[in-house]
Amino acid sequence: MMASNAVRRCTIFGWIFVWAMVLGSAQYACAKDDKAPYPSMAPLDQYLMDRDAEIAMARSAAPEAISRDAEILVLGQHGYETAVKGKNGFVCDVERSWMGPFEKNPEFWNPKVRGAGCYNPQAARSVLPIAYLRTKLALAGLSPAEIAEGIKAAYAKKELPPVEPGAMSFMMSKQTYLTDRGITSDGAHNMAHVMFFTALMDTANWGANLDNSPILLNPQFNGSPEPVEVYMVCTGAWSDGTPAPVS
Amino acid sequence: MSRKIIKTISLGSFVLVIALSPAWPTQAQESGALYERMAPIDQYLMTDRNTEIAFARTAAPESISRDAEVWVFGRHGYEAAVKGKNGWVCIVERSWMAPFDDPEFLNPDQRVPLCLNPPAARTHLPLTFKTTELAMAGQSKTQMFDSIKAAFDKKELPMPEPGSMCYMMSKQQYFGRKYGNADPHLMFWVPKTDDVFWGAGLPGSPVYVHQYSPEPITEFIISVSKWSDGTPAPTD
Repeated sequence: MMASNAVRRCTIFGWIFVWAMVLGSAQYACAKDDKAPYPSMAPLDQYLMDRDAEIAMARSAAPEAISRDAEILVLGQHGYETAVKGKNGFVCDVERSWMGPFEKNPEFWNPKVRGAGCYNPQAARSVLPIAYLRTKLALAGLSPAEIAEGIKAAYAKKELPPVEPGAMSFMMSKQTYLTDRGITSDGAHNMAHVMFFTALMDTANWGANLDNSPILLNPQFNGSPEPVEVYMVCTGAWSDGTPAPVS
Repeated sequence: MSRKIIKTISLGSFVLVIALSPAWPTQAQESGALYERMAPIDQYLMTDRNTEIAFARTAAPESISRDAEVWVFGRHGYEAAVKGKNGWVCIVERSWMAPFDDPEFLNPDQRVPLCLNPPAARTHLPLTFKTTELAMAGQSKTQMFDSIKAAFDKKELPMPEPGSMCYMMSKQQYFGRKYGNADPHLMFWVPKTDDVFWGAGLPGSPVYVHQYSPEPITEFIISVSKWSDGTPAPTD
């Protein structure tokens, strides 16, 4: 059975993660705008990784049984490019900070953020295009507001597809770095989880964020502007099978 | 015939290890079914209506189930016992919602509470009601299998809506002699799809799967850490 102390810890601190993204920004706001930690995009080099290291990290998002046959993307000077062709329909990548919420997100340009994910085929077709477009616009030097407008326009023109039923992804990489804030009791910046993507709906439909619910709503997209809900369930184990942090 | 063994903890299966094969009658014979015939209806009933209502609600955290519609099982099938306000439906399913090849298919002791979200209430509940109706009509497993298949073929039963899922987090849930209380989990229903699309059943994957038969439905399962009352689940 999957139940473990790690899962419990993840559930508890998952809340902190979610609310850190939404409310934690207030902390920065109170600290005053002139102290915003990442007011603009850093030099591109700070967002790039060694190619082989990025391939390995991308694969670490899911158990090896899934990621070994997945297509692997890496971020280059001009956007994501295919580094390894896949055979099972999954696509793994390492996402950067601009995949976070557009609003009230002081880490939108945090160059330390590395979010490894392995998308299933449905999500690879219908959610990953968001990452491609956000990245393209970010690398073009657009502001968060301009990127958001670009995404909104792309949906209006149907250049971005609606999310497919059954779209989900694995985020079980031990190496992921989601935020500067510690989101587990030991101050880790990560948690092992799976994500489910749905069209916009009443989030009460999944009971997310309610007392004792194991489902967390990730405010990553949430209609602002992407018409996609992201739900998270902690897995209690990293992709290599070791327990997720418990202290 | 090669058999693909997977781990699952589903409502539908009520088992932790099943062999995926459409040839369920053969399996039933091999397993030496303990519950070959339906027991007297009284054995499937709960002694008290209020007890069943409370039990159904334990499938999900109180924050969800307190405003859910609740159905109870009576001598003539399921009946609405409590009106809901949030679109969720909680219900205690009986053994005939297990796969047809489950040797405990008619085990009268099984009690499996679920709280279904609104999309699942619209699309899974009709299957529960239909299967219950067939069981109570005294149909054999073969007849039930054929009836359910025909109902899907004729589109009398709906396919899962996008986002259909349920909570199964009752500490008192009972899956039968072999698996007891199992563990708390979430289940997600989608139109029949390949296991690998969710990486289900692969080594290290947190996702398990149950392929329904004859229903053209795939059920994905993820264990969670706590029972609905917030207490920790076993950690084995």
